[in-house]
Amino acid sequence: MNWKLPFDIPLVVPTMGLPGWFFDSLGVIVFVVHIAFIYTLIGASTASVLYNIFGVFKKSKTNDLLAYKMTNPTTISENMGALWGVAPLLVISVLYTGFFYTAILKVSPHILHIIYGNIFAFLLSYAYKFSWHALHEHKGFHISIGLVAVLTFYTLPPVFMSMSNLYLQPELFATVKNIWDIMLTPLTFFRLINFFLTAFAFTGIVMIYLGVKWVKAGGEDAEVGRLAIDQGKKWFMWAAPVNIAVLPLVFFAFSPRISEAYIHTPFVFLPFAASAVLLILFFFLLKRFSNEEFNGSDATKAMVLMIVAVTLMATARHGIRVVSFEEPLQLQAEATQEYMTNVITEYKAHKEEMKNAPAVVLDPAVSLADSKGCLACHSVDTKLVGPAYKEVAAKGESADVLIASVKNGSQGKWGETPMPTQTLTDDEAKTLVEWVLKQK
Amino acid sequence: MFDFPIFEMPTIGLRMLMAINAIIHVFVSHGGAVGGSVVLALAAWWTNKKNDLAGYETVYRLLMVFFIITTSVGALTGIGMWIHANIISPNAIGGLIRVFFWKWFIEWIVFNFEVVLLLFWFMTWKPKAETAEGRSKSVKFGIFYAVSSWVTMLIITAILGFMLTPNFDGQPWIDPEVYPGVVNYNNALFNPTWIPGLMMRTFSSIAFAGALAILWTWLITSFSKDEEIRATKERMIKFFATIMIVTVPVAAAFGYYYLLQIPEAARAMIPTAMMTRAFADKMDLMHMIISGIGGTVVLTTIIAYFSPKRMPYIAATLMVAAFMLFWGYEERTREFIRKPYLIYNYMYANGIRVTDVPYLNKVGILKHAVFVDEDKKVLKEDKSNLIEVGHTIAQIECRACHTENGINGLKFLTKGWSQEAIRNRLNNLPGGGTPYMPPFTGTEAEKDALAAYLASLNKRGEIK
Repeated sequence: MNWKLPFDIPLVVPTMGLPGWFFDSLGVIVFVVHIAFIYTLIGASTASVLYNIFGVFKKSKTNDLLAYKMTNPTTISENMGALWGVAPLLVISVLYTGFFYTAILKVSPHILHIIYGNIFAFLLSYAYKFSWHALHEHKGFHISIGLVAVLTFYTLPPVFMSMSNLYLQPELFATVKNIWDIMLTPLTFFRLINFFLTAFAFTGIVMIYLGVKWVKAGGEDAEVGRLAIDQGKKWFMWAAPVNIAVLPLVFFAFSPRISEAYIHTPFVFLPFAASAVLLILFFFLLKRFSNEEFNGSDATKAMVLMIVAVTLMATARHGIRVVSFEEPLQLQAEATQEYMTNVITEYKAHKEEMKNAPAVVLDPAVSLADSKGCLACHSVDTKLVGPAYKEVAAKGESADVLIASVKNGSQGKWGETPMPTQTLTDDEAKTLVEWVLKQK
Repeated sequence: MFDFPIFEMPTIGLRMLMAINAIIHVFVSHGGAVGGSVVLALAAWWTNKKNDLAGYETVYRLLMVFFIITTSVGALTGIGMWIHANIISPNAIGGLIRVFFWKWFIEWIVFNFEVVLLLFWFMTWKPKAETAEGRSKSVKFGIFYAVSSWVTMLIITAILGFMLTPNFDGQPWIDPEVYPGVVNYNNALFNPTWIPGLMMRTFSSIAFAGALAILWTWLITSFSKDEEIRATKERMIKFFATIMIVTVPVAAAFGYYYLLQIPEAARAMIPTAMMTRAFADKMDLMHMIISGIGGTVVLTTIIAYFSPKRMPYIAATLMVAAFMLFWGYEERTREFIRKPYLIYNYMYANGIRVTDVPYLNKVGILKHAVFVDEDKKVLKEDKSNLIEVGHTIAQIECRACHTENGINGLKFLTKGWSQEAIRNRLNNLPGGGTPYMPPFTGTEAEKDALAAYLASLNKRGEIK
C-alpha cells in the first residue's frame, strides 16, 4: 500500500515503564465516561425542548416541569462531557500523535467548529435554562432558543466523527483533501446513526433513573418522576432495536484492509455482545412496561446494563485502532529511526566543523554594524540586499550625506530597494560611516 | 522533519487565529476562573460572616455570570488552545505533550475537582442559602474551588515558564543527540521564570477579577428591581476595590521580578514584541501606553475604593478595558520574545528542530515533505515549476508567522525588492536586524525557488 504517513515525533512516549495495555484501558475508560455525558447532553437537551413543546400543546404543567428539570442534566453533562473529552484526547495524541494530528489538519479549519460551535451552543443552552421563568409568557421565543441550541449540538458529532474516522484509517491520508471527503461516506453515516440512537437510548435510561429519584421525593416531583419513567422506557425501546441492527454493521464500513483484518480478531464479537446486552435491557424494560412504579434497584440495573453496552462499543472501536495502526506504526517507526540517524550524523559533523573553524576577531565597528542589523542587508565586498560597503566607499559620497542616509533612510541611489530609517545615536552613525568609508 | 499536511489560514494568518483564541482564553481563565474563584469565594465568605444576606444574594448573581462565561467560553477555548496549536505546529504541541504528559494528566485531574466544585457550588447555592449552616458549607465549596483552580494555573505556568527558559542551570531539557530523547522534567519545570510568572499571574488575575466583579456588580445592582439588592452596590464595590488595592501593587512587584528573570536575548526583543517592528524605536510611545494602562487601573481602583457611590460605569469599563489591554500585551509579548524559537534552543518558530538544520540543508527541506504533491516539490529540468516549489517552501517554513498577502504578509515585506536582493536576504535571516527570524533551512536550489516565489508576489498582475 502506498502510504502517506507523517514521521513520528523523535521523542520517547512517557510510559513511565507502564505497559501498553494500561494506556489502552485508560483511553477506553476515559472515553466511556466522556461519551456517556455526551449521550446525556444530546438526549437531555432534546428532551427538554421536546417536553417544553408538549407542555404548550397539551397544556400540561407536568410536561413543562419535566422539560425544566431536564435542563439540569444538560448543564452537568455539557460541562463534564467537555472536561472528560480532554483525557482521551491527551492519551490518543500521545500514543498516536502522527495519525491524530494529521487528521485534525486535514479537516481544518472546520474542526474549529467543535470549539466555537460548542461555545455558541453552551451559551444558548444557558440562556434557555436561566430565562425559563422570565420567558414563561413567551413560550414560542423560549422554545426557539432551546431548539437552536439543540440543533447546534447536533452539528458537532458529524465534524468530530469525520476527524475520528479519518485518523482511524491512515490509508485515506493520501486521498482525503477536505472534511466533506470523509463526512459524506457510509462509515460516517452509520456511525452517526449509531451515535444518535445510543444517545437517545442512554437518555431513556437516565430519565428512568432520575424519575425514580423524583418519585421518591414525592409531591409535585412524583408526578414528573412517573412521566419521566414512562417516557424513558419509550425512548429506549424505540431507539435500541434499530441500534441493535445497526451496531454490528458499523464495524464493517471501514476500509477493506481494516474490515478484513478485524474479522480475524476477537474484537469482532464485541459489537454483537453490545447488541446482545441492549437486547437483554430491552426485554428487562418490556417486562416492566406497564408497571408504573419502577424501583431503585431496577433503575440501577438498567443503568449498569446500558454502561456495559457502551463500554463494549468503545472497546470494539478500540479494536479498530489496534488492527488499523499495526502496520503504519511500524512503517512510521522505521522511517523515523532512519531519519534520526541521518540527522544526528550531520548534526555532529556540523558541530565538529564549527569547533575547528578559526576564531574571528571583530572590529568594534563590525560588532556595532551587526548589532544594529546592518549586516543583514549589507556585506563588505558583495552586494546583498543593499550595496556592498566597498561600492559605497568607492562612490565617494561625503560622510555627512551617508550619516543622513543611515539615520533617515534613503531610496533610489542603489536601485529601487529602499534603505529604512535606523535608530542609532549620532556617535554610532559616525563610527559606522567612518568604517564604511575605510573599505575602499 | 516529522512532516504533517500543510494548512494555511488565508488573510488573518495562523498566528492571529491562535491569538484570538489564546487572548479570549486568558481573559476568561485568569479573570473568570482563577481570579474569579478567589474573589467570589472571598465575597461569599465575607457577606456570610457579616450576615449580609442581600450581599450574599448579589454574590450569587455574580457567580452566575462567572459560571456561564467560564464553563462555556473559558473551558472550550482552553481545549481550543490545543486544537489551534495542533493546526499551527503539530511538532511543537506534540513534543510538549509527550514531555509533559503526566503533568498535563495531573492538571486534568485537578481541573476535574475545579469543574465539579464549581458545578456543585453554583447548583446547590440556592437550597443551601436558606440556613446559616448551609451557607457556611457552601462557602467551603467556594474556597475549595478557588484552591483547585489556582493549582491548575500553578501547573500550566510551569509549562509556560519552561518554554521560555528551559535551560535551567545550563542543562538542556533534552539532549538533542540522543534518540529517543532523555527528558529531564525537573530542569524543565523548576526554571527561573516559573515562580515569578505564577505570582504575577495569580495577583493580577485576582485584581482583574476584582475589576470584572465591580463592573458586573454595577450592572446587576443598577438594573435590579429588588431594593435590597440595589442597596448592596456601594459596599460590594468597596469590598472588591479593597481586594484590588491589595493585589495591584503585589502583582506589579512580581511582574518586575518576572521581567528580571527573562533571558537577556528575549528581553531585548520586548520593544519589537510590544510595538511591532515598525514602531520598535518609538519607545516613548510604548512607555505612554504602559503608563496609561497602569494609571487607568490605579486611578479607577482608587475611585472605586474611596468613592464607591460615585463609581460611574465609565470607570468600571475603563478598568476592565485596561486589564484586557494588559493581558493582551502580556500574552503577545511573552509569545514573541521566545523567537526565533518555539521551544528555546530546541525547535524554531516554524517547527524545524535545531538539530535538523544541517541535515536538511544537505538533502533539502522538501525531501521529507511527504504530504506535498511531487510536482510541487521536485524541480523540473526546465525550472517551469520554480515558483510552485518556492511556494511550497514558504508554506513549510514561513506559514507559522506570515501570510501571503494578509497580516504580516510576505508580499508587503518584500515590496520593492529585487529577486536577487531577496535571495541575498535569505542568507542571513537571523541577525542584528531581525534576531527573531529562524534561519532558512534547505539547499541552495531551494533558496532560489523561495526567492523566485517571494519576488513573484509583487509581480502578479503587472502589465509586462
